[in-house]
Order: sequence, then C-alpha cells, then structure tokens
Amino acid sequence: MKEVIGLITANYGTNDMQRLSDERSIASMPFGGRYRLIDFSLSNMINSGITAVGLITPYKFRSLLDHIGTGSAWMLDRKKGGLYILPGTTYGMSDKSDRFLLCDMRQNDVYFHRTNAEYVLVTSANIVCNMDYTPLIEAHTESGADITMVTKIAERSNKYIKKVSVEDGRVTGVKAGVERGELAFLDSFIIRRELLIQFMEWYSVKEYMDIFDILRKDYKRMDIRTWNFDGYVREIFSVRDYYNTNMELLDMDINGTLFNEQMPIRTKVQDCVPAHVYPEAKVKNSLISSGCLIRGEVENSILFRGVTIEKGAVIRDSIIMQSSVIKSGAIVKNAVIDRNNLIGSDMVIKGSDEDIYVMLKEQRKAKKMG
Amino acid sequence: MGRRKKCIAMLLAGGQGSRLGALTKDIAKPAVSFGGKYRIIDFSLSNCANSGIDTVGVLTQYRPFELNSYVGDGEAWDFSSVDGGVYILPPYETQTGGKWYKGTADAIYRNLDFLRKFNADYVLILSGDHLYRMNYNDMLKNHIKKGAVATISVMEVLWEEASRFGILSTDEEGRVTKFAEKPKKPESNLASMGIYIFNTDVLIDKLIEDADDEESSHDFGKNIIPKLLKENEYVNAYRFDGFWKDVGTIESYYETNMQLLKEKPEFSMIDEKFPIMSNSNIYPVQYIGNTATLENCIINNGCKVYGRIRNSIIGNGCVIKEGAYIEDSLILPDTVIEEDVKIVRSIIGEHTLVRQGARIGLREGEITVIGNNETIKKGSVKP
Repeated sequence: MKEVIGLITANYGTNDMQRLSDERSIASMPFGGRYRLIDFSLSNMINSGITAVGLITPYKFRSLLDHIGTGSAWMLDRKKGGLYILPGTTYGMSDKSDRFLLCDMRQNDVYFHRTNAEYVLVTSANIVCNMDYTPLIEAHTESGADITMVTKIAERSNKYIKKVSVEDGRVTGVKAGVERGELAFLDSFIIRRELLIQFMEWYSVKEYMDIFDILRKDYKRMDIRTWNFDGYVREIFSVRDYYNTNMELLDMDINGTLFNEQMPIRTKVQDCVPAHVYPEAKVKNSLISSGCLIRGEVENSILFRGVTIEKGAVIRDSIIMQSSVIKSGAIVKNAVIDRNNLIGSDMVIKGSDEDIYVMLKEQRKAKKMG
Repeated sequence: MGRRKKCIAMLLAGGQGSRLGALTKDIAKPAVSFGGKYRIIDFSLSNCANSGIDTVGVLTQYRPFELNSYVGDGEAWDFSSVDGGVYILPPYETQTGGKWYKGTADAIYRNLDFLRKFNADYVLILSGDHLYRMNYNDMLKNHIKKGAVATISVMEVLWEEASRFGILSTDEEGRVTKFAEKPKKPESNLASMGIYIFNTDVLIDKLIEDADDEESSHDFGKNIIPKLLKENEYVNAYRFDGFWKDVGTIESYYETNMQLLKEKPEFSMIDEKFPIMSNSNIYPVQYIGNTATLENCIINNGCKVYGRIRNSIIGNGCVIKEGAYIEDSLILPDTVIEEDVKIVRSIIGEHTLVRQGARIGLREGEITVIGNNETIKKGSVKP
C-alpha cells in the first residue's frame, strides 16, 4: 500500500444545533455516552493504518484540543507521523458549513509539503460510522483517478449533504443538498497529494470556497470517481440528527456495527468508577456510562459519564450529558441536557418527538460530585 | 538523569496468592480483577501516583505475562516521566547462573543496581496485593521527623486475628520495641501492613549482610526488621487507620468486592482527590436492555445486560443474556453468561463462558469459584 496521510477538517458549523455548538465545534459534540464525534474519523484513520493525521481546528477549539491532547488515545503521539494540529482560518467563525475550505488547507500547506506520502485521505469530523478506508485506498490507487469520493445512496434528504452526479463511472457534478435515493457524498475522499498542492496554487483566488465548489466547472476535465460505502453512516448537522443518531445506538445491531473489537472507536480515557444501579432504580433500554449513580427510572435514554439520577426521578427518551444531576421527582422527556446541569426536584422538562428540548451547558450548575 | 529523587518505590508483585485458588491459576495475585474493572495492583500504583512518587520498580515472578502487559510503561497511572516511570524487574541470569527471587529481601537485593541507579534518599517497599488508599508522603514525613532508619506502616487488627500478622510492640514515641512474625500469643494488636520505608544507604547495607547470611530466609518481616531491632537501630511504627485489606482468601476477596454495593461502602472507589486509576481496554458504553432487571448492581464498561441481576458486580465487557439470573455474585471481565443460567453467591473468572441453563453456586456454605478462561457446559450444575 502506498503511503497515505490523513486530514480531518473540523472548521465548520451550522445554525441548526440550537446553540449546543456555541462553545464547542460539532467535531467535539459529546456522543453516545462517552465519545465525541471526532472519535469516529480519528479511529477510522488509525484502524485503516494511517499514522499521520492533520487536524484542521475549528475557530472554537478549546474543547476539541482538550479532548484530543497529544493524540495518545489514538496512538498518534509518535516519532514518525503522528498528530498535526493545523489551525483553521477565521472562516469557521461564522456557521459556515463548508467542510473542505481551500484556505484552511493553504494556511497549513507545510503539512502537505513535509511528507513523501503519495495520497491524502480527507474526511470531515461529524461522520458517525465505522469505516475501513483500506478498500477505498486500494480502489483509488488501482484506478489511478485524481480523486475518489466516498458515496452512498441517501436514506433521507439533507440540505447539508452534497449530491454527486455520475456518468459512466465518472463524477460529472457535485451540488449542495441531496434528496432521498440520490447519491450522497459522505464527506470523505482520497486525492493525490501533488494534485491537492496544485489545487492550492491554481485556485488560490477562490480559496474561501469549498474544494468541491471550486471544482464545479472542472469536473468533466478531471478523473473523479466514487467508492460506495454500504455500512451504517450518519452525519450530524442539526439537533435532530444529533438526537436521532444517539438514539439509534440503542439498537444493538447498529451499536454493534459501530463499536466492535476489531475496529474499536477510541476516545480519551477517563478513569471513572463503574456505574451503580441502586435497588430503587429501574433501567430499561438505555446506555449508562461509568460514574453514573442511578436511583430513579431511566428508559430509552443515554446517560454520559458521572450522571446522577436521584430516587423518583424519571428520564425517558433523553440524552443527559456528563456530570448532570437529576433530583428526585424531576421528569425529563425528549430532551438533550448538556453537561453540568442540575434539574431540581419536581422539575418537569418535556420536549416532544418533533421538538426536542435542549438545555445548554451549565444553565443550572450541578454541584461537583465529591 | 535529572534531579536526585527523594523516594522511589519497590513493589513486590511476584506472589502467587495460592489461597485464591482458581483465580490465580494463570495470573499473579496483583493482576486479579477487583470491582469489575480494577486489578489489585491498581491500588498500590495509584497510591504511588497520588503520593507524588514517580519511579516504581515492579518485581514480578509468578505468571508475569498478564501483569507485565497490564502495567506496561505505567502510563495509565501517569508514570510517564522524563527520568522516572515504571520498571518491570523480573528475576534474571548472571554469569554464575540465575535464580528465582528467594524472598522479599532477596528480590530487592537482586535489584540493588536499580536502587543505586536512582540513588534516592529513601526507598518505599510495597506489596502489590493489598487494597487500601494511602498517602505515602505522610508516612515519609513521619519517617524523616522521627529520624528513623526504617518505618513500618501498622494498623490495629482484631486480637483474634493478630496471630496471622507480623505483630509489633512500640514505646510511647512509636518506636518499635519488639517484632514477632505471626506470634501464637500476640503481645499487641498492632500489625505490620508490609509497607516499609528505609533510608537507602541502610537498606543497601542490610540487604548485602542478609544475602551473605545462609541462615536467613531473606524476608523483610522475618529477617531484616528483627536484625535492625537487634542492632538497636531506630525502627519507627507509622499508624494507619484507614481501610486496608490483604485479600488473601476467597472469602475476604468476595466480601471486599461485595461491600462496594453498599449504600455507603467502607472502602469506596469514588474519591476524586485520590482516584484509583486503572489500565482498561477500550469498551463501548454499558447497555441495559429491555428484558433486563437490575437490583443493586455495579455495571462496568462494555457490559450488555439482558438478564436479571441482584446485588452483584458485573465486570468490563460482560454479556448477560436474556433469562439469566445472577444474585450475590461477582462476574469478572469479558465473561459471557448465556440464556437461563442461574448463578448465586459465586465468583466467575475472566473470559469465561457459561453456557445455557447452567446452575452455579449455593445460597449457603462456601463461595463457588469458577476460574479464568473456562467453559461451563450447557445445563451443567456447579454447586
């Protein structure tokens, strides 16, 4: 296999996260009880044998860098290769949802010059999937294409996801917004490194645009192909996506395809005590992370690390993030409760299937557990 | 090499723990699982890390593979340090042949190179098979304040149990006047916890003398400490009054695990200021299924629970299938309990498979123990 370096882009956002991503990037959204979204892209790279990964940071990078540290959880604290923090441009300040801004790459062109790798595998940081990139890399090297894009038939419409048009196996166009049944671009692609460097020079005047928008008029002149991924995949752009995708983890078939021993999704290690389900508790169909102390009722929900559910509290169809405390008698339904919140006794928080209630981080501060 | 260190630790982790039977058939006692995610050695390693000791020699001997791979370079306990860290010290060959470690003192004696290399002022000798939280720094301060050459950590034990321990008598200052290893008629109930601090120069001298003594069994409790007392050296007793347990038997191992399920455990894992760290594999989040019923359980990372569990601890990565019933039991990591299995008052080892419909354990009498890497046949009965 020819040498491949990775690039993960995280300098983007949307207006549909109901301020959950105000203080953090989508890439560092907590997910599935103990993960953050970027864990998937990072782990997929490592599991596919890529050991040099550049990370284009979002404008608000504190929580992301806090999570990633030196990259040791993904074994990226190494001499050869490793993790490269590539500061993103200020374009990420606005909720610009373009994932592959040329300026973000140009600003960090050193990363692409200081390597002999033949290819760059680029992916965004809000994709929930367990993908082995090796067949993609093989397909790309065998075909000799300029770019190979990862695609899948869209299961639902999404304005943020790009639609790919293909004729005779060649990509002829890419445009924003995909309808159900059309070919969707999964925001992952592989490109010859030299070609990517050339792009940075050729298209420098359009550098504020997404690579795939810049190429709009040039598709027919280039050899761009697709590689279909047929596994489970979701991209998170909105609270709705976020809530639904979390809830899908309660389906153990989906859960098992995402989290398996052969291709583990790695995350920052935190030494948490095990979860304790006390005699008065009732827990059904839920993910409960370590450090949780549960005395109340929890159903169809996801509890992140260190959540306390007091006796008599009822949690249904909800996501409760790290270190939140739900006092006795409180009721939480169809809600996303961000970190460090205290839901007082007998408080009732109810969203609905259509309209998920969102409580931002530390709205009512939970006292730190002793 | 960087700054001279004040204190390094030598952790004796070579013991078999033969009274733990099936649990230590293929692993050393310090590597035995605790609380479903920890291993016994986590406690002494975490104590070192939480006490600011950054250099630890881990002396291994019995079945070291699991232990060595678990401890690794000590990164999981924050021992990555420029000029310190964790060093695994197994017995080795020399030009005149190799030998196993003959006793606790011999194990340290054979690693004098290590002590000399770091040349710290003090050496802390620990056992890797005890459960407790202790700030060794407080003990070291006490040692320095008293001007002793050796300090032994002691605690009061029940009089009826005193004859199982090394028992010390002290004067008012806490200076040890007498030491008796497992006395039939104990004169005091102050027991040695097997934790020692020595001035390094004194320790090196005594170990060399001891190595030349053919009568000696090369043991700290039996030989080194009595010798220091005989020579009228200042041996200090440092009193500890927290929780401390040498989980030497199946009963005490079982009880110490199960007390974690209490509303207010005597020995709790929850303490943010003094966390017990561990080197866990990567597991996804615990899943509790629709068919599961949990009544007072500790559930660790990566578990998938579909059965009914009462008053039990389920280790990392276990799968408890639908219709299984587990009561008053300890299921060690990565074990699968299949449909309609019934387990009461038992300890099930790691990586074990209990096939459909098996019956394990009795409500009374001895705790049933199934070892690591076993397969219990479909429908079989193990009282």
